[in-house]
Amino acid sequence: MARTISYREAINEALAQEMERDERVIVMGEDNAGGAGSPGDEDAWGGVLGVTKGLYHRFPGRVLDTPISESAFIGAAIGAATAGMRPVAELMFIDFMGVCFDQIFNQAAKFRYMFGGKALTPVVIRTMYGAGLRAAAQHSQALYPVFTHIPGLKVAVPSSPYEAKGLLTQAIRDDDPVIFCEHKALYDTTGEVPEEQYVIPFGEANVVRDGGDVTVVAIGRMVSVALAAADELAGAGIQCEVIDPRTTSPLDTDTILESVESTGRLVVVDESTPRCNLATDISATVAQQAFGALRAPIEMVTAPHTPVPFAGNLEDLYIPDAQRVVNAVKSVTSWER
Amino acid sequence: MGDTVVGIVANPLSGRDIRRLVATASVFPTAEKANMVQRMLTAFGVVGVDRVLVGTDLGGISAAVLRAIGTRPPRDPPWPEVEFLDQDPITQTAADTVNAVRRMAEAGARVVVCLGGDGTVRAAAAACGDTPLLPLSTGTNNAFPQLREATVAGLAAGLVAVGAVDIAAVTRRAPVLRVDGAGRSELALVDVCTSVNRYVGARALWDPAALTELYCTFAEPDGIGLSSVPGVLCPSPRDEPSGVALMLCPPAEATWVVAAPIAPGLVVPVGVRSWRRLEPGEVVEVATPRGVVAVDGEREIEFSGAPAPRVTLRPDGPRCVDVRAVLAGPARNRLIQEVER
Amino acid sequence: MTDTLSTSVAYELKPEALHDAYRMMRTIRAFEERVHEEFATGDIPGFVHLYAGEEASAVGVCSHLDNRDTIASTHRGHGHCIAKGVDVKAMMAEIYGKSTGSCHGKGGSMHIADLSKGMLGANGIVGGGPPLICGTALAAKQKGTGGVGVAFFGDGASNQGTTLESLNLAAVWNLPAVFVAENNGYAEATSSTWSVASDNIADRAAGFGMPGVIVDGFDFFAAYEAAGEAITRAREGGGPTLIEMKFTRYFGHFEGDQQTYRADEVARARETLDCLLRFRGRVTETGQLSLEELDRIDAEVAELIDEAVDEAKRAPKPRAADLTTDVYVAY
Repeated sequence: MARTISYREAINEALAQEMERDERVIVMGEDNAGGAGSPGDEDAWGGVLGVTKGLYHRFPGRVLDTPISESAFIGAAIGAATAGMRPVAELMFIDFMGVCFDQIFNQAAKFRYMFGGKALTPVVIRTMYGAGLRAAAQHSQALYPVFTHIPGLKVAVPSSPYEAKGLLTQAIRDDDPVIFCEHKALYDTTGEVPEEQYVIPFGEANVVRDGGDVTVVAIGRMVSVALAAADELAGAGIQCEVIDPRTTSPLDTDTILESVESTGRLVVVDESTPRCNLATDISATVAQQAFGALRAPIEMVTAPHTPVPFAGNLEDLYIPDAQRVVNAVKSVTSWER
Repeated sequence: MGDTVVGIVANPLSGRDIRRLVATASVFPTAEKANMVQRMLTAFGVVGVDRVLVGTDLGGISAAVLRAIGTRPPRDPPWPEVEFLDQDPITQTAADTVNAVRRMAEAGARVVVCLGGDGTVRAAAAACGDTPLLPLSTGTNNAFPQLREATVAGLAAGLVAVGAVDIAAVTRRAPVLRVDGAGRSELALVDVCTSVNRYVGARALWDPAALTELYCTFAEPDGIGLSSVPGVLCPSPRDEPSGVALMLCPPAEATWVVAAPIAPGLVVPVGVRSWRRLEPGEVVEVATPRGVVAVDGEREIEFSGAPAPRVTLRPDGPRCVDVRAVLAGPARNRLIQEVER
Repeated sequence: MTDTLSTSVAYELKPEALHDAYRMMRTIRAFEERVHEEFATGDIPGFVHLYAGEEASAVGVCSHLDNRDTIASTHRGHGHCIAKGVDVKAMMAEIYGKSTGSCHGKGGSMHIADLSKGMLGANGIVGGGPPLICGTALAAKQKGTGGVGVAFFGDGASNQGTTLESLNLAAVWNLPAVFVAENNGYAEATSSTWSVASDNIADRAAGFGMPGVIVDGFDFFAAYEAAGEAITRAREGGGPTLIEMKFTRYFGHFEGDQQTYRADEVARARETLDCLLRFRGRVTETGQLSLEELDRIDAEVAELIDEAVDEAKRAPKPRAADLTTDVYVAY
């Protein structure tokens, strides 16, 4: 039975249902209960934006607050995973990856390979990404491309409450390390989510909207931006096929290529900064494998090559919006040699 | 009379062994030891000591003192000339204390101040000969050295050094226990204990079930360490020449079970089968067939079979300065200046 | 390898336990000396970092551990691997990059691991181990296995943020963990007396809310006792301990290191402080083991190492297809 809940609630529900089902699942992070040792309520915050609220009392001993020591507790989550637990650790902001990246990319990502197939590291690292809340340069980045680049990691980027619950459930059950990227501006958005547990397999893109004129691949929150652009473009007689990859690693290139074979045009909408991001990755794959099908150059709609500005008007310029997508689509659909 | 010379030796390694883990012994910070040395230098300066010989170490004590000498403001009261004894290579073992004290005695030091615990004082005692010793406690078990504020101890040592006192009146020869076993000879200032542990291992003794025989030069009821066992059961005052010998056993077989503070934070039941007075000069052969002899609370000598180690209580240990006696006596007048009106 | 402390006299090591300890230390020593020789011929790829001289630490600690327990190691990890029971021949094959190696040739000297024995791997990242041990110790605590996690790290890693964070986290979460700082005097070419600001690494323990103990790392019995106390404390819920082993390494930071930054401390250590020499002397003094028995162990170990090298040299390399296997469980 589906009903309308928020992105935040969908994540909370995925955690709660998996913790109910599997006692090996534990949750840890800064203020995931919040606050340990404080005189007031032990579950005062339930995460900085309330995502883990309620779990502390429902699953005693399985929701751990941590000191501000990312390399220690992210490393601990990874170590605990090798020892048979299924930890879901929270790296509060993806921007903080710098202080714990070794444990993620040199340890967790490489154990299985370096140890000849004998290690299992079923850890999930949940993290917030994205601009739009005027949180400025060190709290607003979209760094999933960096994790996508690392062999041994899987990366999920849910675009809606439905995606969030299904992908997180899959992530927890997955035997590989997963970086689960939640867009902070999506927490209050709502959508239809089944009450019961379900998984969305990794490496399976979702064709959110059918269309024959242009393929628009969008990541995370950019899916809603692409859909808004698609609505406007439909009014102008241009039908967009909007594809949500859901996971950047593994990436469902088959679905994207199949769509481009049919439309001959590609626009990629990626909130991350332009050098070596998912837009460049997907564009290169399509250019290499579907060159003959392309009837126009590929267009990428991304943030500029800058840090995220603080001033509201500047941040709004930074984030790809529906208008820029519309312009990009019109450009590829009107292109002539 | 010549140069008035005083020696100071400080052990940087005292207070870092396993008793931090098996008991609640504290770590005595190096900075505090360095401060104690500096306080003494100030006191020596006031009473007119000419030269101070300071042992060198790799633990930062002598380095801190050197730094202080270089950075003292000119208006501070003058310190005596400080000479660092760096002729011997630093081994970071008890040999460093022995070497330093030996050189101080050879150089004619009138007093040697020693900062450390029982183990450090023991090493100093082995080398000081007739030179009076002033032990200040900074180690774990400080059964022997007394807890004294360093400035005051410095004044007392300085007054002894400048000849303001009758040495015989203010020093006392501490009795010692000499242990000969397995080709080695060691001196204990407080206690000798045999244990069925085969190996020296982590040195400290914290398991009362392993102890078999205990010999003490003195045993005070308010003592810390192994001597607290007789201290509680059958005290033997410090100023009496005789000591005490106990046969220990597991509590189940004991005549008395004593709750004794054998290390800081460690109050454990120790079983005593019997005890008797130990007379000076009496040579005792250890009854335990094989094990380890611990000296002043630290396992030292591994032995097995014949010949058995021998323990002798001797009256001729180091001459130790009684700080209180120095300052309570006429030497105190050196600190008073009557003003002519 | 047990026979530990349930007896009324703690740390009474029976002859069998002494035999095992000696065999283990000799195996490490012989393994490292042989790798030193073989590396010089150019047959061994990449880098190796040898543990010779430090055997008493690995064996003194791991003698108290069983398969419930985990250890994390360093780039200088062969000793810890052997002490934790990783197969010696598989280790040698791994060092040679062969498919019969512990990691099928995919890891090499710096990444030898055997999770079935609780050995989380040698680690190429300085300070990479302590956070992982916080994790395995947490898992043991959550599951109530009574297991402990031991993080071995060097004087170099003692200054790495990951290590310091892990000390704090282990104390805050009261984890069954033991942190063993193996201070062999040098972090690569830089002396630890220079790079560690406090007088001793163990002195930092108080700042992190746990006891800190200094141990003569050349003395098996001292290491065994201190580790025994710390591990018991951890198992009983008493929380973490920091042990600092002080000794020196006999070889360079890596094989090929000219070691011009050193004085002649190795010669002195090999002659007077060596853990195997001292062990031999003392166990024969007490009559618990005989020289013949010890020499027999030496011969058996030498044979084992010979076989290991022989087999490693003759073993097949990984197949080309192995390049892309085991990146994920499933992708």
